[in-house]
Amino acid sequence: MNPADATPEELGGGAKAGAPDMDDPRAVLSVLEADQIVAAKQGTRFGRRKLSSGERVVLWGLRVYVVIMLVLVVISAFRVIHSAP
Amino acid sequence: MNHPWTKLSNGSARPTTAPAADSPHASDLAGLLTHEDADRARDRWKVGRARREEGRSKGFGRFLVLWLLVGPGVLVFLGENDAPSMLSYSATGARFGVGFFIPFVVLTFLMGLVVQEMTVRLGAVTHRGHAELIFDRFGKFWGFFSLGDLVLGNFLTLVTEFIGIRAGLGFFGVRPSVAVGVGLLVVFAAITTGRYWTWERITLGLAIFNGLFVPAALLARPDWHQVGHALLTWTPLPHGNSFDILVLLLADIGATVTPWMIFFQQSAVVDKGMQPRDISAGRVDTLLGAVLATIFAIATILATAPLFHHGIDASQFQAAQFAQALRPWIGRAGAALFALGIFEAGIVAAIAISTSSAYAFGEVLGTGHSLNQPMRDAWPFYSILLGSAVAAAALVLIPHAPLEFIVLIVNVVAVLAMPPALAFLVMLVNDRDVMGDAVNGAWANVAAVVVTVLLIVAGLGFGVATVFPHWLSWL
Repeated sequence: MNPADATPEELGGGAKAGAPDMDDPRAVLSVLEADQIVAAKQGTRFGRRKLSSGERVVLWGLRVYVVIMLVLVVISAFRVIHSAP
Repeated sequence: MNHPWTKLSNGSARPTTAPAADSPHASDLAGLLTHEDADRARDRWKVGRARREEGRSKGFGRFLVLWLLVGPGVLVFLGENDAPSMLSYSATGARFGVGFFIPFVVLTFLMGLVVQEMTVRLGAVTHRGHAELIFDRFGKFWGFFSLGDLVLGNFLTLVTEFIGIRAGLGFFGVRPSVAVGVGLLVVFAAITTGRYWTWERITLGLAIFNGLFVPAALLARPDWHQVGHALLTWTPLPHGNSFDILVLLLADIGATVTPWMIFFQQSAVVDKGMQPRDISAGRVDTLLGAVLATIFAIATILATAPLFHHGIDASQFQAAQFAQALRPWIGRAGAALFALGIFEAGIVAAIAISTSSAYAFGEVLGTGHSLNQPMRDAWPFYSILLGSAVAAAALVLIPHAPLEFIVLIVNVVAVLAMPPALAFLVMLVNDRDVMGDAVNGAWANVAAVVVTVLLIVAGLGFGVATVFPHWLSWL
């Protein structure tokens, strides 16, 4: 039987009645999607997307924002700690 | 391996939803299956059986499907009701009582819901973790920035979880080293099963104890009329030091929307094996998590509100001190529940956050990154998971470590790191090459932009208040 034709019911015979034996590759392939298989995921990559200039500006702007704000957080926390009685 | 799927590398990726058995490459794949695939297939088979049951008996079948698919959403929200978050809510109740902050907390969880729903779709459609997708679609430069934010935020938060664990058990007289050791032991015990499903159920079982704050709140005998009034009118408004109010606002936002939640839930959805047809169940899971977390967060505010009403100065309180101070109003049992709640919050978050770091590293390094893999096969994944927990736990035990500093900044850092994380999330979830037809609708984009703008405005407000503190006196 071609794995593509197998269903969990047809692949019965596992430990529990009605439950397929997942040591049988056909059973695994019948319930997982193709790009859910670990080997398939390892062999594939979603390629790089091209960023528009607007997207670049947003990402750089947010990066600068985070760096500046982190410096301010450190300053603020030091102030609080040193002003504590 | 020159796998047939490498054609996706040219950027023309499309999500597929057909069973692997229907793929023209099924026979190739059959020889490449792993232990992780078999475990995930077992979980998927149970979901398929429950769906068939749903066809026969709607009510029971629907419950069964939901029971099997609930997990990542509840875990992420109850995990985010962590030790520093519960401390923020405690401070909120103790310093401002019942008022503006009650509906504000509801709003922050709505923001969290908007964000987390997108991670469900991303994970179920792409079967890839968030870090992996960022590296794939935006490249290493942006990927490492994003990972850096996550690692910094996660480590600081993990430290505060162990501070919470130490403080929670400290209420019962447990020595700090023993308390921290217990925390590490629970993290380790949860992952020894080598099975995502078992790990998830153990962690969910622990997470439900976040509800300990509810009886503690009931013992405080809240004025329900006042709670309802606050929910509807957002009053009374908080009074006092404007900078303190601003920090508490940020801390309460940071208690519900943080970068680790995005990375964790997407990876957990993938590890659970959820598929596009499970997205609606994933939404219910996320909504359930948000509702439970909102109730428990408000319960914490209500539990500590007696401190406000009796004029107790809680500005310098740490977790266990709240429990001690509440004893006259909620009794020894109530105080004990409160302390146990802080301990639980730390434990569950320590498990979830260390797992989120391990998922992200595994995805970026290309090594195994699934709780369905045994330790010997995915030792880098488990090493990072345990290593980050051990390092955070050790820091808590070092005398004179800057713990007060970390507690002060952790939730604020989470809020500040959130806008870039949201930008990547929104760009990914609008990427038709990645999401196919499951891209964001117009309303989801409006909601995501509103959340991002609110977070940026809150952060900028904090920045302005830090540089020009006298400006706040005008408010």
